Amino acid sequence: MDRRHFLRVTAAAGAGLLVSSTASCATSASSGPVAQTAGTVSIQSNLSAPAAKAAIEALVKAFNDRKGSQASVNTVASETFRTQLPSYLTSANPPDLFTWYPGSLLKGYEEKGLLLDVSDVWQTMGDYPQAYRTLSGKVFVPTTTYWWSFFYRKSNFAKWGVTPPKTWAEFVELCKSLQGKGVIPLGMGAGSDSPWTASAWFDYFNIRVNGAPFHRELLAGKHRFDDPKVKAIFTPWREVLPYTDPNGTAIGFQEATTAMLQGRTGILLTGAFFADAAPKDALDDIDFFRFPIIDPAVPLAEEGPTDGFFASSKSPHVKELKEFLTYAATAEGQEVYIRNSSGTILPTHPKARDSGTELVKKGRRHLEEAAEITQFFNRDSSDALQPTADAALVKFLQQPDQLDTILATWQKAAEQVWSA
Amino acid sequence: MSNRVFHAVAGTISVLWLLPIAAVINTAFRSFDDIAANGLGSFPRSFTLAGFADAWTNGGAGAMWNSVLVTVPTVFLSLALSAAAAYALSRFEIPGRRTIVLLMLAGNLLPPQILLVPVSKLTELLGIYDTLIALIVVQVGFGLGFYTFVLQGFMRAMPNEVQEAATIDGAGPVQIFWRIVLPMTRPALAALAALAFTWIFNDLLWAITVLRSSSVMPVTPALLALQGQYVSNWNVIAAGSVIAAIPTVAVFLRFQRHFISGLAVGAVK
Repeated sequence: MDRRHFLRVTAAAGAGLLVSSTASCATSASSGPVAQTAGTVSIQSNLSAPAAKAAIEALVKAFNDRKGSQASVNTVASETFRTQLPSYLTSANPPDLFTWYPGSLLKGYEEKGLLLDVSDVWQTMGDYPQAYRTLSGKVFVPTTTYWWSFFYRKSNFAKWGVTPPKTWAEFVELCKSLQGKGVIPLGMGAGSDSPWTASAWFDYFNIRVNGAPFHRELLAGKHRFDDPKVKAIFTPWREVLPYTDPNGTAIGFQEATTAMLQGRTGILLTGAFFADAAPKDALDDIDFFRFPIIDPAVPLAEEGPTDGFFASSKSPHVKELKEFLTYAATAEGQEVYIRNSSGTILPTHPKARDSGTELVKKGRRHLEEAAEITQFFNRDSSDALQPTADAALVKFLQQPDQLDTILATWQKAAEQVWSA
Repeated sequence: MSNRVFHAVAGTISVLWLLPIAAVINTAFRSFDDIAANGLGSFPRSFTLAGFADAWTNGGAGAMWNSVLVTVPTVFLSLALSAAAAYALSRFEIPGRRTIVLLMLAGNLLPPQILLVPVSKLTELLGIYDTLIALIVVQVGFGLGFYTFVLQGFMRAMPNEVQEAATIDGAGPVQIFWRIVLPMTRPALAALAALAFTWIFNDLLWAITVLRSSSVMPVTPALLALQGQYVSNWNVIAAGSVIAAIPTVAVFLRFQRHFISGLAVGAVK
């Protein structure tokens, strides 16, 4: 059975699963509480994008087919999940497992005793690099990751006669030459419902100029946002602002993706997940390059957000859920997940195979070459701090000459979050 | 001349009003690849019903049924209860009835957001968390105040003579309610039923507060669940919205006629 055939079969199986689950819910809807079947691990998932939803359902199916413990997945909108997570966790009968990412939010729940210690599972994860262990602590099991970079279409670069830059000077040169050809060089989708995409720029300038350790300390509240070192990163940013899409704070991330794919903008700083928003025939034409080096003395850092699972400390199914986590952490489990996803996602298990496309292989090397991995603004700080960054950075994009006021306001807003 | 100006202005406003709906319908019939390649705002270059099929099979059918299971009993229960309450409050000298009515209305002035956590905990204590029963109870509870307020205002305006005549003919309070007051309240009931149906059918907040499983989610949170964390299939979401709008539009059209005729032939002269 070749891979394509396998994909089709699993996709059909996944679809069948979906249909049968919707059909059965119609009859069971009014029949009292959704009782947790004895021993079944319930997974509350925020992976509501169609591709990701299919992937986690395939993973659960593969787990159930092993005839060990059984699991069931319940997908809710990611936005609903985010706002309801505290009430899920504090409810009397919470789901057993949750999809999420490591970070300060998780630490807060851990301190409140809401999360289950899954050190046992880590015993089986000897192959994992120390970085993941440090990141996850005792309560989190990472399963997938992806990378951020400047994405572009190979055919467009060929048409415009430009090549990917390595240094900052080359990058500015590329912007200039693209603008000369009537193309908006830099895409931006910081409007609509995705103002957080501007934080990627902030993160990258900070880790390129000041380095990842300073970046983490800043986000943890150990430095000030109006620090001269923070102010310094806006100097190179200002340099490329004239080349940035003037509609960048008006359109959302998905529209910015379309603009790049259509060749209205040249390149877009985004995460590999954007491939979900691309038409299938464009995927082979996509390539990327690293955010250019600004100061060669700063150790290379990249953004590589990690996703995975954590468990509720109230779960009555400790043995079963650990069995699931162990499976999800294996190369086999991650390969099942990736085969059924849109394919641009990377496994956290060092020996697990990725989807094998040129793009993904390059993406994996891209992260492996980095000396430091940062997660993303909200993951390295908190979801509460993210809106302060959104406000400040969108304002900066619109009124770059107001920088001093913006940074002062940002610091004030951040202090309120940190002291809360 | 002024007539022509009126038509020009009103026509423009209607077109502006209908534009978003036209955009949604346009998106619903496009393919995902078309939207991804040409953008959400472009003219359609594809025509497909795949979005509708996707929305229906990806939880849409179950969610529709859940919505019906919640909405129909809720509308019926809350109108029945508030009609009875309004009858008592408007036709009888209950001590402190003004205070009761104002209290019920005051409950409506509280922003529901501050009650989210208590309501969620309460349904858990009652053991009905994550069931449609919980949603029905909460919806009835929160609707009651406003419906009672409207209905008692309507009933108070009925002439006393009608009630007196019925009493002379030997009718008790229950019979008066059932055979005189309720039929006369029909226009108000119809209008409220149409409103309540739309509100409850379109509710999102309470649904995500008291429900957790995707299998019991009604149609609005299910539509939200079609949105991905980063990427959304707008054609499926638009198609889902169109499907979700059908019941409310149908009910409104149906009850609107009822409402108007009820006003015209009502017993209140």
